[in-house]
Amino acid sequence: MSEKRKKEIQRIKELESINLATDGIRDLVVQTKMEVERDNELLAKQNNEELREHKIKSVDIVGAIGAGKTALIEKIVEILSEKYRILVICGDITTRVDADRIQSHNAETIQINTGRECALNAYHIHQIIENKELDDYDLLFIENVGNLICPSDFTLGTDKRITVVSTTEGEWVIEKHPMLFKMSQVAVINKVDLAERLGTNIQKMIEDAKEINPNIEVITTSAKTGENINKLIEILEL
Amino acid sequence: MKELLKELEQLINKEDLDLPKIQDLKTEILKNHIKGLRIEGYIGDYPTFMEPVILGDKIKIGDDVLIGPKVYIGSNSEIEDYAEISNSIIFDNVKIGKNFKLDNCIILKDSHLNFDNFNKSNCILKGVAESEDNIEIYSL
Repeated sequence: MSEKRKKEIQRIKELESINLATDGIRDLVVQTKMEVERDNELLAKQNNEELREHKIKSVDIVGAIGAGKTALIEKIVEILSEKYRILVICGDITTRVDADRIQSHNAETIQINTGRECALNAYHIHQIIENKELDDYDLLFIENVGNLICPSDFTLGTDKRITVVSTTEGEWVIEKHPMLFKMSQVAVINKVDLAERLGTNIQKMIEDAKEINPNIEVITTSAKTGENINKLIEILEL
Repeated sequence: MKELLKELEQLINKEDLDLPKIQDLKTEILKNHIKGLRIEGYIGDYPTFMEPVILGDKIKIGDDVLIGPKVYIGSNSEIEDYAEISNSIIFDNVKIGKNFKLDNCIILKDSHLNFDNFNKSNCILKGVAESEDNIEIYSL
């Protein structure tokens, strides 16, 4: 196979769109996609087993850019850093801005700059776990790359996944992104302190989340004022 | 760290390689001296970096490359497309081809590995070669 063709397949793989594959390579692309998904699931399972073996509780936090994932982690870490030895893995396209913010609250951070990839995957987490002394930690947070689409393709192997949205994203944001709510245990509606001013219908957001996933716990928070942060910690059983 | 890298280079350049000592020094450098993310000096199209990673100046990095954790790459080196490098030290002015997967390796200064599709762990690599049969490989 020529280098050009290999590159073409690689790009299609990244786009995860089999519809773009020409007939000649369609089978190969489908096969590759299935293998990537299966390998990710296997690695995620391994990650979880390893973390549990070392008695580390783990939470993956997904959400759009600006929803308040970093601010929520800052607040949680501020409260829990006396009780737990915390490691936070931060996924971003580039920079270590979020990791620096979180690190100032007594948690160790590891930055992953994903470059052109729009989500962390189980292999990223596996590589970090393999290279860390896991006995040094009790609690792991993973802040995924900011968006509500790509992270639904990859589980990471954490005990729980939280999806964070905010009142500034509008009341349709949950309805428009059902996949992540289907695979999360907790939905956080952040920036409730702004809801009244923005006229966002929070009740609709809560109902949408429950309709998509009847088992999901929904909580409204404000990372700015600290509203319901302790309740979120309780829900996470931390 | 510069001193330790120099010491490592000297150890690898000796005729009789003291492999346990090389491995210990490599581990010491990667564990205690490679910290955070210092990646300002690369030329390329947004590869994936997993901390800790330290890059020298003017490093060229191709597409779909994954670097880290625990990687040092010296100045003027070139990493081509689809490379994956972890737990490794690559000295200055090194060139590697496409689709290299290296874990726990050291590549000596001025090595040019001008071939593609190479997957190796726990080794020292050196030389200028057009195929993997012609490079010097020592197991760590």
